[in-house]
Amino acid sequence: MLSIKNLHAGIEDKDILKGINLEVKAGEVHAIMGPNGSGKSTLSAVIAGNEHYEVTDGSVELDGEDLADLAPEERAHKGVFLSFQYPVEIPGVSVTNFMKTAINESRKAKGQEEMPANEMLKLIREKSELLEIDRKFLSRSLNEGFSGGEKKRNEIFQMAMLEPKLAILDETDSGLDIDALRIVANGVNKLKSENNAIIVITHYQRLLDYIVPDFVHVLYNGKIVKSGGKELAYELEEKGYDWIKAEN
Amino acid sequence: MSKYTEDDLKIELENKEYEYGFYTNIESETFPIGLNEDIVRAISLKKEEPQWMTDWRIEAFRAWEQMIEPEWANVHYKKPDFQAIAYYSAPKSVDPNKTLDDVDPELLAMYKKLGISVDEQKMMNNVAMDIVVDSVSVATTFKKTLAEKGIIFCPISEAIKEHPELVKKYLGTVVPQKDNFYAALNSAVFSDGSFCYIPKGVRCPMELSTYFRINQAGTGQFERTLVIADEGSYVSYLEGCTAPSRDENQLHAAVVELIALDDAEIKYSTVQNWFPGNKEGKGGVYNFVTKRGLCEKNAKISWTQVETGSAVTWKYPSCVLKGDNSVGEFYSIAVTNNFQQADTGTKMIHLGKNTKSTIISKGISAGKSQNSYRGLVQISSRADNARNFSQCDSLLMGNNCGAHTFPYIESKNPSAKIEHEATTSKIGEDQVFYCNQRGIPTEKAIALIVNGFSKEVLNKLPMEFAVEAQKLLEISLEGSVG
Amino acid sequence: MELKEKLISSFMAFEERVDVDADLHDVRTEAFKNFEEKGFPTKKDEAWKYTSLNAILKNDFSVFPKNENTVQYSDVKKYYLHEVDTYKVVFVDGVFSSFLSSTTHDGLDVCLMSSALTKPKYKMVIDEYFNKIANKDESLTSLNTAFAYEGAYINIPRSKVVDKPIEIINFSTGTESALLVQPRNLIIVGENAHVQIIERHQSLNENPVLTNSVTEIFAQKRAIVDYYKIQNDNLEASLIDNTYIAQKEQSHASVHTFSFGGNLTRNNLNFYHQGEYIDSTLKGITIIEGKQHVDHYTLVQHATPNCESHQNYKTILDDKSTGVFNGKIYVEKEAQKTNAFQQNNNILLSDKASVNAKPQLEIFADDVKCSHGCTIGQLDERAMFYMQSRGIPAKEAKALLMYAFTNEVIESVKIPALKARITKIIAMKLGVNIGFDL
Repeated sequence: MLSIKNLHAGIEDKDILKGINLEVKAGEVHAIMGPNGSGKSTLSAVIAGNEHYEVTDGSVELDGEDLADLAPEERAHKGVFLSFQYPVEIPGVSVTNFMKTAINESRKAKGQEEMPANEMLKLIREKSELLEIDRKFLSRSLNEGFSGGEKKRNEIFQMAMLEPKLAILDETDSGLDIDALRIVANGVNKLKSENNAIIVITHYQRLLDYIVPDFVHVLYNGKIVKSGGKELAYELEEKGYDWIKAEN
Repeated sequence: MSKYTEDDLKIELENKEYEYGFYTNIESETFPIGLNEDIVRAISLKKEEPQWMTDWRIEAFRAWEQMIEPEWANVHYKKPDFQAIAYYSAPKSVDPNKTLDDVDPELLAMYKKLGISVDEQKMMNNVAMDIVVDSVSVATTFKKTLAEKGIIFCPISEAIKEHPELVKKYLGTVVPQKDNFYAALNSAVFSDGSFCYIPKGVRCPMELSTYFRINQAGTGQFERTLVIADEGSYVSYLEGCTAPSRDENQLHAAVVELIALDDAEIKYSTVQNWFPGNKEGKGGVYNFVTKRGLCEKNAKISWTQVETGSAVTWKYPSCVLKGDNSVGEFYSIAVTNNFQQADTGTKMIHLGKNTKSTIISKGISAGKSQNSYRGLVQISSRADNARNFSQCDSLLMGNNCGAHTFPYIESKNPSAKIEHEATTSKIGEDQVFYCNQRGIPTEKAIALIVNGFSKEVLNKLPMEFAVEAQKLLEISLEGSVG
Repeated sequence: MELKEKLISSFMAFEERVDVDADLHDVRTEAFKNFEEKGFPTKKDEAWKYTSLNAILKNDFSVFPKNENTVQYSDVKKYYLHEVDTYKVVFVDGVFSSFLSSTTHDGLDVCLMSSALTKPKYKMVIDEYFNKIANKDESLTSLNTAFAYEGAYINIPRSKVVDKPIEIINFSTGTESALLVQPRNLIIVGENAHVQIIERHQSLNENPVLTNSVTEIFAQKRAIVDYYKIQNDNLEASLIDNTYIAQKEQSHASVHTFSFGGNLTRNNLNFYHQGEYIDSTLKGITIIEGKQHVDHYTLVQHATPNCESHQNYKTILDDKSTGVFNGKIYVEKEAQKTNAFQQNNNILLSDKASVNAKPQLEIFADDVKCSHGCTIGQLDERAMFYMQSRGIPAKEAKALLMYAFTNEVIESVKIPALKARITKIIAMKLGVNIGFDL
């Protein structure tokens, strides 16, 4: 589904990603771990099309289509979803209104009619139950005054609404206490299917107790330096990143 | 892949032409420029006013002569030369005996261009309209329907002649002739405006509306509005303003007085889109307006304004909460772009017990504009349990504009509850990217953000107006965006 | 002898007992010098404008207890959060009681400041953290530093989610006629670690006690710290609490202060931000009566971008009691995208009760959201009447309204047993016996 080949990217002449290769197939969960500054968040931003970063070499393909010339919203229309590490506040725009706009823009791009209101309502109800989200929450301004847990839950709720092919969860566990982490992970697990794929980006192993990866990759200094099964995450937690740094 | 950034938006805004900047070539009758007692008398004579009205004007003029133009506002402009302005300009074809069909076709075409075709308004929106071009009221619709309920809605010039007892009783009671420099000037030279009276217990069945337009070059517009809601009545009043693009500054100094008697409610909404000057800051309307409402017992006055125009704005729609349990509200969106300057806000004067006021002010600044909120909340010692909530939010676009907040709170009563919130924010690239990532294109994203920012105020406008205001916001900020 | 003079001679005596060659002692000496210079704060100090210590300082306080005192667990069990299992660090008259405590070194350190300050294996940590964020100019903090010897030492390693809450309890027995105690706590919460801490001061009879406590808390990257202060002491006990919290990037720290008892209580609560995306929460419920006095003095120093702070203080004052809220939010020029909220609501139940509120916002950045709201009012008489007309007696109706008023703060307590306990104390305080299920 996702195929990243020799990806180089950076910001203002500073190289951050230095040749990433990654293949993700439908139905798989990949975890990308790494120390601070290794390029984890850059990788997610580049896949989503944040123009802050410049791609200098290599390619990112989704189902065989090169994403390079697509704007962020076009990538979203093709099924790329990024759960932000720091979801942005948009005052005055309710969660419902935002989701309605997002879904209808996607449909418009695909030449479809707008989703009928009753269908939208049904969908919202169904997905908010999945994430144990209160109805009142949906009429609040997007991320404004949300607690850390609410913000992350809202990200996964949006993922549920948009049903992406490829979901990238960037440090979804930061700021979550254990109870909130369980709810979020539970939501993600229920959304997992044979037809989609999930990339979990995290610094710590804790989240992977709840969202169990098929593959774990270690990103260091802009490259994937180690890949393995879920045991690799435990090894990393135990030995710390100095172990990776020492080997490279 | 084109990237639409805040900078692009800024450029687009700066290049955006004023959409209402056309000049209608209609024959008009204009007084010679300059101001003296004779001109004041001439205006009064021209309007065939009774002696008491002439005297009232002269009294105001003499007071004005002794006053100096105020300088405390956070605006900088070349002071108008009051002797270089024509104080009366009327489209010649106006004749009170004519019906709408007889109106100069060019004038009608102008309404169409403004998007306020009188017929259309009548048919579609159930809105009664009084249209003031330059200084004279040219068309008042729906008069008969209103008359059946005992509602008087007519040009103030007509009211002075036909309902002198009402005008005499209320004119100048909320904004006295000598209230301030511009109010005094207006009192002396106002040529027309709207008058509205809602009888006891009547709920006005439709929105009443006035549309103001400055057309003639070198004229000032000094309209006077007087709205009286008698006991237990309700009225919603809309006011719209436009002016053609001109190089020189045009002066607009209006006075609006609202009187809400016991248990009455007045909702006054303004969408102001005077010519803001071009992108070099040349031309544009100086908008120096005094608006004030008086609330008696259990009465409520609500000001809602969407201000996108004028080169310089100086305007503080206020409420004097005289009666116990009276309520004052102020909801405002002020947009400034290019070289526009706005110093606007409100005063809530709490005199009665259990009086409540709410202030929601949203300032959006772009280009090199300066946007100031100035508000006074005053709680007198008699005003037990007075409540105020104020919220002032500023949205900045780019680094060359400014937002300023000057809240004044004066409380002389210990049982008062006063809350204040303030935010200053920018449209961030991160917000736009977040929307993009969810599949929302940049132009739509910016419209979403601006509308979200303004939502609390847009929600307060009557439906017909809200759509227009939203469009205006998009025009003055987003160009073709949205 | 005046208390200040007594403290000077006590400090000399104290030097006999501690290792004066240690680096630590330089810190103590420096701090004592500052206290000597400044003395106790008076109403002339802007920060103490509404709170006077004069009456309290007239007591002839013992600085060191003469006897070692013991208490029976059965007598004090009710002050513990005994419904759930906890780690406990308990002091009696300022002296550690191993009998009443349950400390640990298994995967985390929950132990004693006195060992941490003296044993070599802690030296590196002490050098790095001790007295690093406590305000060195403030005279009462300096006084505590000068005599710093005992308290709780808590060090949570990286990624550790502490399995049960930690209680820090200070009992005073009242065997001294008047006692000054100065606990000193140091809490370090490692990267990605979570911890919940409950702190309580409790005197066991009617003799006057003055507690001058200093707590330094360091929340490392992504740490989550929830700290609860229960202040429900008897009416002869006074408390000056100085808490300093330094937060690194992405950490979340919250402090809930429940002030119900005590004679005079002053809470100095200070948050310092040292990284982006930090979240700080300061909440409090104060319900006092008689001549009680509670002063909340908060500071949130926003020094870095993208951080949030939330303050919410609810106060109910009866009789001649007085409440003070002074909340300062400081947003430095670099701290763009700051969200700082402050809410202070007060209910006065009597004409003689009074409240002084002073929100201070100092903002030097231009892309920020700050709000402060302050209300002072009485209970809603219409709501009272409504409930009474439905058959709810006045006393219960009043209690229900007051509970509803404080509910926003109680809601965010994350330990269910503690939430139940606080609710119970509030019900007792309001003199009713009804289950609050709102």
